[in-house]
Amino acid sequence: MKNSLYKFLLLFGFIVFCNSSCDQGFVELNSDPTKALEIDPSYQFSWTQLRTSGGRYENWRASLIYSSMMMQHLAATCGYWVGDKYTFNGGYASSLFDRAYQEQVKDIQDVINTLEAGVVGDATMLGMARIWRVVIFQRLTDVYGDIPYSEAGKGALEGIDFPKYDTQEFIYNDMLAELESAIGQLGTGGFGAADFLYGGDVDKWRKFGYSMMLRLAMRMSEVDPSGAQAWTGKALAGGIMVDNSDDAFIEHTNGPEGINRNGIGEVLDKSNGFGDDCPRLSATMVNGLTSTGDPRLDLWGVVGTTGAHNGLPNGLDETTILDNPTGTTVDEFDRINPLIVSVSTPMMFMTSAEAQLLAAEAAVRGWGSGDAATHYANGVRNGMNQWAHYDASLAVEPTAIDAFLAGNPFDAANAMEQIGWQYWLATFLNEYEAYANWRRTGTPALTPVNYPGNISNGQIPLRLAYPASEAGREPFEAAKTAQGLSDDFPSMMSVAVWWDK
Amino acid sequence: MKKILLTSLAMLFFVSLSFAQKTVNGVVKTSDGDPLIGVNVLEKGTANGTVTDFDGNFSLNVSEGATLELSYTGYQTQEFTVGSQSYFDISLSEGELLDEVVVTALGIERSERALAYSVTEIEGESLTTAKEVHVGNALAGKIAGVSVSNPATGPGGSSRIVIRGNGNISGNNQPLIVVDGVPINNDNLGSAGMWGGQDWGDGLSSVNADDIESVTVLKGNTAGALYGYRAGNGVILITTKKGKKTGGIGVEFNSNFQTETIIDNYNFQDQYGHGNMGSKPTTQEEAFAQGLYAWGAPLDGSSVMQFDGVERPYSSVGNNLDRFYNPGNTWTNSLALTSGGENFNFRIGMTNLDNKGIMPNSGLTRRTISTNTSATYGKLTASVSGSYINDATQNRPRLSDSPGNANYTAWSLPSSINIDDLKGDPDKLGANEDGTELQFNDNVFVTNPWWAAHQFESNNTKNRVFGNVSLAYEIANGLTAIGKVGMDRFSEQRRSVEPYGTAFTTLGAVSESDRDVQEINLELLLNYQHDFSDNFGMNLYAGGNQQKNYAESIGIRGGNLIVPFLHTAKNGANQTFNYGFSQFQINSLFGSAEFSIASSLYLTVTGRQDWFSTLTNPDGSASENSVFYPSVGVSYDLANGLDLPSMFDFMKVRASWASVGGATDPYQLSLNYGVQGQGHLGQPLGAITSGTIPPAGLVPSTNKEFEIGFDSRLFKNKVRLDVAYYNRNTTNGILNASISPTSGYGSKKVNVGEISNKGVEVLLNVTPVSNDKINWDLGINFAHNVNEVVSLLTPEQDDEQIRLEESRTRNAYIHLVEGLPYSQVMGFAYARDDAGNIMLDDNGLPLAGELLPFGTGVHPTQVGIQNSFTFGDLTVGFLIDVRSGGMIYNATNAYGYFRGLHENTLEGRESGIGAVPAEEVQNYYQRIAFGISEEFIDDASFGKLREVIIGYKLPANILPILPFKGGTVSFAARNLGVLWKSTDNIDPESTYTTGNGQGLEMFGVPVTRSYGINLSLTF
Repeated sequence: MKNSLYKFLLLFGFIVFCNSSCDQGFVELNSDPTKALEIDPSYQFSWTQLRTSGGRYENWRASLIYSSMMMQHLAATCGYWVGDKYTFNGGYASSLFDRAYQEQVKDIQDVINTLEAGVVGDATMLGMARIWRVVIFQRLTDVYGDIPYSEAGKGALEGIDFPKYDTQEFIYNDMLAELESAIGQLGTGGFGAADFLYGGDVDKWRKFGYSMMLRLAMRMSEVDPSGAQAWTGKALAGGIMVDNSDDAFIEHTNGPEGINRNGIGEVLDKSNGFGDDCPRLSATMVNGLTSTGDPRLDLWGVVGTTGAHNGLPNGLDETTILDNPTGTTVDEFDRINPLIVSVSTPMMFMTSAEAQLLAAEAAVRGWGSGDAATHYANGVRNGMNQWAHYDASLAVEPTAIDAFLAGNPFDAANAMEQIGWQYWLATFLNEYEAYANWRRTGTPALTPVNYPGNISNGQIPLRLAYPASEAGREPFEAAKTAQGLSDDFPSMMSVAVWWDK
Repeated sequence: MKKILLTSLAMLFFVSLSFAQKTVNGVVKTSDGDPLIGVNVLEKGTANGTVTDFDGNFSLNVSEGATLELSYTGYQTQEFTVGSQSYFDISLSEGELLDEVVVTALGIERSERALAYSVTEIEGESLTTAKEVHVGNALAGKIAGVSVSNPATGPGGSSRIVIRGNGNISGNNQPLIVVDGVPINNDNLGSAGMWGGQDWGDGLSSVNADDIESVTVLKGNTAGALYGYRAGNGVILITTKKGKKTGGIGVEFNSNFQTETIIDNYNFQDQYGHGNMGSKPTTQEEAFAQGLYAWGAPLDGSSVMQFDGVERPYSSVGNNLDRFYNPGNTWTNSLALTSGGENFNFRIGMTNLDNKGIMPNSGLTRRTISTNTSATYGKLTASVSGSYINDATQNRPRLSDSPGNANYTAWSLPSSINIDDLKGDPDKLGANEDGTELQFNDNVFVTNPWWAAHQFESNNTKNRVFGNVSLAYEIANGLTAIGKVGMDRFSEQRRSVEPYGTAFTTLGAVSESDRDVQEINLELLLNYQHDFSDNFGMNLYAGGNQQKNYAESIGIRGGNLIVPFLHTAKNGANQTFNYGFSQFQINSLFGSAEFSIASSLYLTVTGRQDWFSTLTNPDGSASENSVFYPSVGVSYDLANGLDLPSMFDFMKVRASWASVGGATDPYQLSLNYGVQGQGHLGQPLGAITSGTIPPAGLVPSTNKEFEIGFDSRLFKNKVRLDVAYYNRNTTNGILNASISPTSGYGSKKVNVGEISNKGVEVLLNVTPVSNDKINWDLGINFAHNVNEVVSLLTPEQDDEQIRLEESRTRNAYIHLVEGLPYSQVMGFAYARDDAGNIMLDDNGLPLAGELLPFGTGVHPTQVGIQNSFTFGDLTVGFLIDVRSGGMIYNATNAYGYFRGLHENTLEGRESGIGAVPAEEVQNYYQRIAFGISEEFIDDASFGKLREVIIGYKLPANILPILPFKGGTVSFAARNLGVLWKSTDNIDPESTYTTGNGQGLEMFGVPVTRSYGINLSLTF
């Protein structure tokens, strides 16, 4: 009965509803007319560079609120600027991790996959994409420690839903090998104007690649000196960034797509509708610049109501500021010059100043060729000149730089402190890098604050906490155990990462 | 409106005067001589009628020579002609119980006796006296197994209806809504999440309660089996009112006014004022930074600095909520013209609903015009039914996260801050003199509540038409063909403004969008009915349906407004443009065969085959895009079949089994790239737009349900007991399974899992007292559902979990957890040592431990108790709604801890807690606030006095002097009292979303109680 009813139905249906079959036209109907199934990888490479520069979300939280405060570049009394006082906000701490994999890793991995297939693009593109992947992961592992790396971003490509966490040691060694191999692929072709870093200039990419290699190599200086030395040698032999034309940065604009803006500007650029007025130049910063007569103080600071540069001490709140001898209201302290934190200012990834300072450090350690004093001077000079990228009016007179160098000559006995201080200045607004290098070198010597309720017993935290949303997932739990981390997320921030010895 | 009423009244007089009238009186008694109350007395062929009073008396104006029809449940209907006699003494004899007919799937009317599954029908009237702006919310507590969650989203928000428990891992768990035989869209148009947002309403909210004749709920899979893939969550059939047979044009008028006020659950501490570390602020800067925190000194009445530099007494300011929220009110007026004759009937209804919300500057209007008309010519019957709805909502309140959420601020001010002091410019509330937001604290994202309510906009207007045209033709004796075209189409205009001068976006932003959504159903149904003998009958249906859906949207957002306070998207320096399009089609064939033996044994078999475009691979490769859905059911009436004693009116046992399903959205089967053509620095940008990994292949989900039950009615219907047991398994759910974002994707679309729902539903209706003075009806519905997530992603792996929702506090979640009921409220527990003591760190602050499930956010048990007493013309009724067993994460309390508002945070302020000194005790509570969610997970069980109605029917003896045929005045109250609950500071019904992840609360619109008056007149 059921069967004959069914046959009857089918017959009836074919006659009335389904001319020849009951799913006629369905293939076309289920194709989205507003999206593409394939895309030029250069569009995606451009996108990924922009997203690595980042949005307001993680720039506000992980970079500014935590890193810039812990590094005492900046200071704030506002309670939610938790990095100033080492208190805990899980969502702020994990913000870079929360955003990077879906907004940066997913597409760069897809670009690499497309280019490796060899149907479109060229080897130079592939080399650039692989170097960019290192830029993304180096930052992530420095901030968090062990992270998903080798299996990350491959959800659609390889069906890996819960990527394993790789150790930072593995990641560093692999990234170095990747850099070497990727630099080797740089030749003719490339992304051209779709590359916002250098407009496709392959020579500049090569220098960028070797400079990244130097950065990674030096990061291992304490934990793996021999490896660090070997890779430093390769990097210096390959040729690192020399002057400010080599600086790796992306230009931002105020539109038109809504993702063109500098993420830091989206926090601090009041003239464009973004209104966080909490941060001030820190006392550490202003006092240091003042004592050395550093011309950058006038580039960065806008004096407050006292009429003279004045840095806000870290660790104050609205009440304790009332007893502060250098000023009792936040308006008495230097705000950041809007010219360097607008929505259309560039975002630095790596500068020639950093590369030259690392080379100076290598020379001091006896790992590099060349003269430490020369590299140091280059580093200082480039570090001052790089602000002209932000605005022509921020160019420093060469005479001022000469005067600074004359007043603060390279001192071999105090080299590591000098280099560390200059590196700290050169990475102002590249806070992830400042935080990583400080943890490695311990310079400059920052005096931690000890605010009630801080999570690190009055010490500057040693990493940021993973997202709580990873809790209970097997790969994360394994990584937690392997790194000796407890269930308590705030306490994770007191455990050093692998290279931090 | 008034004009229409007057015109109608004039027409009415004209109509009534054109007939010669006569008054007849009488009394109706049982054969034993007891008077019968409530007997329907109707002038045959008209709507003119009355009912008998306490003493069985009636009085009615009728036309000369009219026939009167007297009917009463459980008694034989009697007719007689009015001659010259004007007084009648009538006795009704007890009769066979009428075989009641109910509407079932595809609009097929069937005898209750034949149904092999549970069906509940409620009258439209029970939805209109104690009104809810959203008709779905009026169903709460009235039907066993139907759970209605009324979220804290304001009157324009959605309602969540779930029948017999959640079965789908993701996607829709709400029933199909069918109006007059045609499905309508009930999609949620947007709801709040962890980052805030507002509830943009749903489809069912368009349905006008005043047009509803009855609502039939098909709970089980067998009941809805003919709807195939759409039946997995049950079906709600709404039948609209039809024209009644009258001599002329009848007029029905209903006017309803309700006023509502918030139920104040607020119980934060009022002993310590704003401040930090136990001290009062001394400067404006301090006061501004501490504007949200009640960690100050004991309130002592001294003069203390506030955010605006003004010193005010440091004492509790009393109830800020009453200062902020308005009494809300709702006016609903409806007018219907009806008429009917032998071959036609029509009804045209008009309703106007005007609501002013409790949130200042919010409200909605809804205007409905509807018709239900049919005409018969020979063997052809043509019918049209449909509604046009114009729905405009002003300022849907923002919920959950703080930006623009006035509730957030109003509920979390320290008790020393008066919300009226935040008003600022009286001509532009919440603003400074320069027109920008008056900030009262240093967190730009915590918006001034007056600014949020009066300067933000989130408005939408919906114009919607749904209805159908059908033709029925009797081809031969017993063979009928019915063709039907149904359509549901709406366009929505939406506008959101974050105004210029808002602290967190100082240049403001404006979004405007338009959306069109349409569904068309073409249906053809053949029916063949044949009785082979008095004892053996057959009823066959066969048909097909073609469903076509389409949605298109276009929107623009302008940020960084150039001209200050000019709130239009074109004024934005940054403009983004969005376009969305989707379409899909489902073709279906179906059939049903019903056999009846001796009017006591019934067997029904149905089948339906659905073909889905959404399961068809876009690359043309072979896909499993079609599914067959069968059902079988049997019922047996023991009363008829076994000739039970006469006290059994009806005694049916039933059993059924069905397999139905679920569907998915279009375009899920490929990984897509989007392009942003304007790009950056002249270069186009492109990226993978899918946040979800597409599957290699997908099949629709399957629900298999077995149901048994019995339905017995005793003592002339004075007792009815209906019990159902069901066991439903949902497998192959289509899910965006949450995966690690480190894969690059937040989720993966998969066919996974198995969810089991087993439960019992009991419906008991008793009339304990029924005499000439008083009638008491008691109805109890009880349902208990045992839900279990049997398996999730991979069958071989245990202890898997899937995340459905996350709280803004980022440490409480809603998960599906294998082996536990749906929608587990997850939180971080305290870290405890082996002895169970809370572990502290070196500073004496509690440590967080594991992330654990604390129970389901969905109440497994639900009881509704309805009582109705009638004393002559007066009726008093009330409804008690009890739910039990669900949990809720109380984010209001988490913030209460963080801000020092919660009463528990008083402990230790003078003495310290362990190693934590008194002045730093806030660190202790703040560590708990966003670290240890266990502290804030509450039992959400409650008992509420949901509805109280007092109705007075205008007595028959005064009607002759009034210009209408009948009338009722009712007083109605909803949510009058919470009988018990265990959530402090919030109402247990305070979730901010109607999504699947139930059990998260955070600063929604407060729950209200309402009082209203309803006037209903017929002319």
